[in-house]
Amino acid sequence: MAIITISRGSYSKGREVAEKVAQRMGYKVVSRDVLLEASEKFHIPEVKLVRAIHDAPSVLERFTHGKYCYLAFIRAALTERAVKDDLVYHGLAGHLLLKGVPHVLKVRIIADLEARVAAEMKRENLTQSQARALLIKDDAERRKWTQSLYGADPWDASLYDLVIHINQLTVDDAVDFIVQAAGRECFKTTADAQRKIQDLALACRVKASLAEEDCVDIAVTSEFGNVLVYTKQDDRRAHRLEEKLKPLVKGLPEINHLELRPGQPFPPEAC
Amino acid sequence: MPTLTAEMILVMIMIGVAVFLFIVEWVRVDVVAILMMVTLPLLHLVTPKEAFSGLSSNAVVSIIAVIIIGAGLDKTGVVNRLVGPILKVAGKSQSRIVIFISLTVAFISSFMQNIGAAALFLPAVQRISKNLKIPIGKLLMPIGFSAILGGTVTLVGSSPLILLNDLMVPFKLKPFGLFDVTPVGLALVAAGIACFVFFGRFILPGGGKSDESSPAAEERQEENQIIDELGRPWELTTPEDFTHYREPVTVDALRRRYLVNVVGMVEPPDFKVLGPAPDQEIRSGVDLVVYGQEKDVRRMASEEGMELKEDLELFKGELADHASGTVEAVVAPRSNLAGKTLNQVDLTERFQVTPLAVYRQGVVYRAELGDLPLRVGDAILLHGTWKRLELLHDEGSLLFTTPLDADQLRPEKAMFAGIWLAVALIMVIVFKIQLSVCLMTGALGMILTRVLSIDEAYQAVDWRTVFLLGGLIPLGIATEKTGTAAWIAHTVLNAIGTVESIVLLAVIGLLATVFTLVISNVGATVLLVPLVVNMALAAHTDPRLAALVVGLATSNSFILPTHQVNALYMGPGRYRSVDFMKAGSVVSIIFLVVMIAMLYLFY
Repeated sequence: MAIITISRGSYSKGREVAEKVAQRMGYKVVSRDVLLEASEKFHIPEVKLVRAIHDAPSVLERFTHGKYCYLAFIRAALTERAVKDDLVYHGLAGHLLLKGVPHVLKVRIIADLEARVAAEMKRENLTQSQARALLIKDDAERRKWTQSLYGADPWDASLYDLVIHINQLTVDDAVDFIVQAAGRECFKTTADAQRKIQDLALACRVKASLAEEDCVDIAVTSEFGNVLVYTKQDDRRAHRLEEKLKPLVKGLPEINHLELRPGQPFPPEAC
Repeated sequence: MPTLTAEMILVMIMIGVAVFLFIVEWVRVDVVAILMMVTLPLLHLVTPKEAFSGLSSNAVVSIIAVIIIGAGLDKTGVVNRLVGPILKVAGKSQSRIVIFISLTVAFISSFMQNIGAAALFLPAVQRISKNLKIPIGKLLMPIGFSAILGGTVTLVGSSPLILLNDLMVPFKLKPFGLFDVTPVGLALVAAGIACFVFFGRFILPGGGKSDESSPAAEERQEENQIIDELGRPWELTTPEDFTHYREPVTVDALRRRYLVNVVGMVEPPDFKVLGPAPDQEIRSGVDLVVYGQEKDVRRMASEEGMELKEDLELFKGELADHASGTVEAVVAPRSNLAGKTLNQVDLTERFQVTPLAVYRQGVVYRAELGDLPLRVGDAILLHGTWKRLELLHDEGSLLFTTPLDADQLRPEKAMFAGIWLAVALIMVIVFKIQLSVCLMTGALGMILTRVLSIDEAYQAVDWRTVFLLGGLIPLGIATEKTGTAAWIAHTVLNAIGTVESIVLLAVIGLLATVFTLVISNVGATVLLVPLVVNMALAAHTDPRLAALVVGLATSNSFILPTHQVNALYMGPGRYRSVDFMKAGSVVSIIFLVVMIAMLYLFY
């Protein structure tokens, strides 16, 4: 049917909207579960994943590649779920993690800062100024994060199909809009769309598996199960990578053909 | 009874030297022949004129002419048309091909000169070997031997048998009829072929192993490996509902999805496109020919519901080795292609050649070639017709590592080639003009009607064969002229004295076999027939039978590459003398046993 990603700031009622949409449409709802799944699958503490998807990459990142790896894991876990279709994902950057898939309805839920401050004060038992400072810092972090990884500003409305401001409009109004939009022809899961998400899932899977083997700075594309692995390494070092790819191909029957492309620029659609 | 002279001893030494050099191969066999050609007149065993008379002999000129005719038939595609039906009947198994072609050659050679039949089939066998990847060494020798054996099926099959009746006239013996020898001949052919079918793998060389160790051969093998990785051409038909309820499928879509390269397709009704453009749409019920690995092609066929044909059918001609092929082209230093992607260069659009793969530093790239920025030194494997590839070659941005020597076919001249072959054959069979004259007429005719140019004709001639035969003829002349042959025959036959007729016949057979290896079969027959007839009369054996043994056994020339047919096949088959000795001695023994047994049973 469709995949719905709901991007939200904290305390913007995004979670509520997501859960109601899922309930109305009979979809599964996914958020932190993805992180849990990823942490189980790749044996890393969840807290590291949370930080990976939250904090902007540090200078240190250039040496440790921690964030690169965790993101690869999260993406692999999310796309694996998305292949099964009928999904509402809420949380950060879902629209970016599922880039290039046509049947994804990308929604952003925003709310007034004052309303969010009030909500946070209530839940976390903070003073108004504390809550405000925390929210602003949080927003800035997320902005930095998306910008550093994807070069996109989460507040840029052109990234979404639908931006809904919860203020005059209630949560139920938002749910109505989203359900209506999700029923449009363009969000139907066609064979082609399903194939694309499968290819994306495969590419992410390959990338995550390579990240597990400490192979970083790699971009992966897949088209019809023909996987291309791009690396900036020179041809000689790429041979070592090739050795690691061999068992991988055996483990993933979806791979029809795998090629290593050393020293080539990463294509924009690569994951 | 002649007495032994110094000259005779000298001749025997020379024969010994020649045979020794054939065996050890310090120099190539044709060089041995030239050595004889020069040494014999120096030793005054033959006159200088006789020494080189071999080069102008009937046999050598016939071979030259018949090779030219064969080349003409090959160039016009006549041979290909012949090969098709042969393969259809014979299938792809090596033994079946050997049996079928051998029988055909034997049949033809029973009515015409062996060498003619053998030479006509040479290009066909070469094509079959190339197409089916059977080592040519496994095919040529059985077929060549069958051509020789086929000569024993009728009385006009080989020169010794043609002569036989004339040689018996002085003895007032009843002449043989045309088919009197047929039972023996058929048995010999059958035994020869059976020998290769059952023991072929033991007695035939292992497919040119001798040069497999050379670096060039290794390279060739490596190249084949790449080609193997690319797969081979396959022909498929799209189903009638191929385009129903779906987006149009393009050539590019198939290659992206299945890594299968469409190199040709038939647009209905029957317009063939070679090297179709990437955005070319594929419709329902069209025939495609693609390059790809078997697993990819089979996956495509099953997923798209295409019908995969067993063999190339519609594109057989276009994709035959002579019309199109796969070459490796390297991006040259300073080439304007460096840094561009194949999509930008668009070879398909401009030259109608299809890039199949890119080979860079030991890695083969097959997927999404279009987006790959080319580097200097990248090798691109391209498929296209030779004509198109030549245009690309002339453009100069790519260096071709595989030479574009594939000859361009002239199918429009096929009729002329056929006519001149027919003229030559009619002259031989109907007007009984000398073979060399008839064949040279045919060859000349082909050149005059531009079936092939005179330069191509010269290039087609295998000088190795010419000098091998030309050089051995003076040795035969010396053996006869000095009386060596007569002396040997007399000595041997006297030595055995009066024995059972079967033993006598066996000895005569053996003697004729040995003689025919060194001197010409005609010479051996002329020399031996009068002798053995007298011997047989003295030993109360049937003199006609003795004469027939000579006539037949002079075709038993397999151990050395001295028979015209063997000499002709030696070069193309990459045989060595040892190969002939190994296979030939087995066949020769079988020949003698079968011949004596058959003669004993039937006459």
